[in-house]
Amino acid sequence: MNKRSLLLFLLFLLPTMLFADEVFLKGAGSISGKIVEQTDTMVTVDVGGGTMGVMMSRVERIVKERHPLDDYAERANKLGPHDLNGWRKLARWAEAEGLSAQSRQAYKQVLVIAPDDKEANEALGFVLLDGRWVTVEQSYLAQGYVKYEGEWMTPAAAQMFQQSAAAAQAAEQAGRDARLAEADAMLAENRAAAAEEKAAEEKARADREARWGPPVNLGGWGYGVTTWPTTNTDYWP
Amino acid sequence: MMTLAAVLLLAVTAAAPATPSPTVDEIVAGYVAARGGLKKIQSIQSLRQKGHATAGADRHALVTRLLKRPHWIRFEFTVQGVTSVYVSDGEKGWQVSPFDADMSPKPLSDEVVSEAAEQADIEGPLVGWKEKGHQVELAGREAVGGQEAYKLKLTLKSGAVRYEYLDVKSLNLVRTDSTRQVRGVAVQMQTTFAEYKKTSGILFPRLIEIAAAGRPQRLRIVVDSIEVNPPLSDALFQVSAPVQP
Repeated sequence: MNKRSLLLFLLFLLPTMLFADEVFLKGAGSISGKIVEQTDTMVTVDVGGGTMGVMMSRVERIVKERHPLDDYAERANKLGPHDLNGWRKLARWAEAEGLSAQSRQAYKQVLVIAPDDKEANEALGFVLLDGRWVTVEQSYLAQGYVKYEGEWMTPAAAQMFQQSAAAAQAAEQAGRDARLAEADAMLAENRAAAAEEKAAEEKARADREARWGPPVNLGGWGYGVTTWPTTNTDYWP
Repeated sequence: MMTLAAVLLLAVTAAAPATPSPTVDEIVAGYVAARGGLKKIQSIQSLRQKGHATAGADRHALVTRLLKRPHWIRFEFTVQGVTSVYVSDGEKGWQVSPFDADMSPKPLSDEVVSEAAEQADIEGPLVGWKEKGHQVELAGREAVGGQEAYKLKLTLKSGAVRYEYLDVKSLNLVRTDSTRQVRGVAVQMQTTFAEYKKTSGILFPRLIEIAAAGRPQRLRIVVDSIEVNPPLSDALFQVSAPVQP
């Protein structure tokens, strides 16, 4: 790593080098990170992978304390850019602390030092395919899986969803057609409405795909969580 | 002197393929004994299990599962310092999920409450299954991870059906097959259990892997710590703020 890239790297760490807070929500749940803005009505927290805004009316209390993000920044600053084991240990520690973004950041540094490092490649989601590290999506494609509404599956499984969706759409269309027949005079108007509705559905679907991460299937050890939080911070509250 | 568990294990495992299969009652009795015995299992009043879940890159979470009799369950899912909480008392439930913009308690759907209620049985459904109103049938033997396992068809009192696979040798639960509705389509879920270790004299799996039929993704839960009978306040399972409909 040259001096310029090292400087950029340290600048990237800066936002996590200040203080950290825990925002406890009324009822349950919490958001842990660094408060970047607080007004009478709103508090915005940098959680290390993006920011989240919470209405103050939903906040039970805020506790300012030392946070693992501080420890991460402190430890990262002490590491030299070529300290392979140091970055590896830091990545493992960040993962155990639940700091996925920081863990990825440290593993990326491991890859800068050792591009073929197995642990770092696997942690960052790369898969060894024909002697080459590729993304997991590329490996799924190579294995014949297809992506349906953000989830990778066999073509047969995707077909089941498509058939189910098609049947629902057909039923909906049949209902729509029946209504159209009943009110022939309003046909043109209804068709326009149907087209608009379809466009809105398509938009909602595209929005949903971006909004949701892949499904979480807890299989009986936990419940309630249906999808991983999206990494697209545009969709964060 | 042989323990009751050893005697029951011998009784069940002695039932080689050439001899008649053991009955459901014998298999379940062996399973209960292998876990630590009925008395120990029934002495569990509360449980705290902490671990981490991974599903490939960018998908890491810290998970905590709290259970308390009679059938309360609280599940916490923390990603990047943001903790979502799901709570159920077996009849209703609520969630706070900041990533979904649910910053105040919101009711859980009936489907999720039903899922929570199934998991809230602190002993597991096979323990005292008759008294609980479930039905169990032996549906044969199948290989699970290269080892022979008894396949039990478990029909819960609610009507939900799942298959429990008990390793023929150890009688540990090694797999559960269930069906879950995903966007209107029934999806087969397969949950495998491994790396059993005792805590307070009771066996618990420390590695749980979940897969859905036809999907390459796997969710892996490593249970880092288990506490039997930790003091858990009732307040942890109650709504402490108005629920937003």
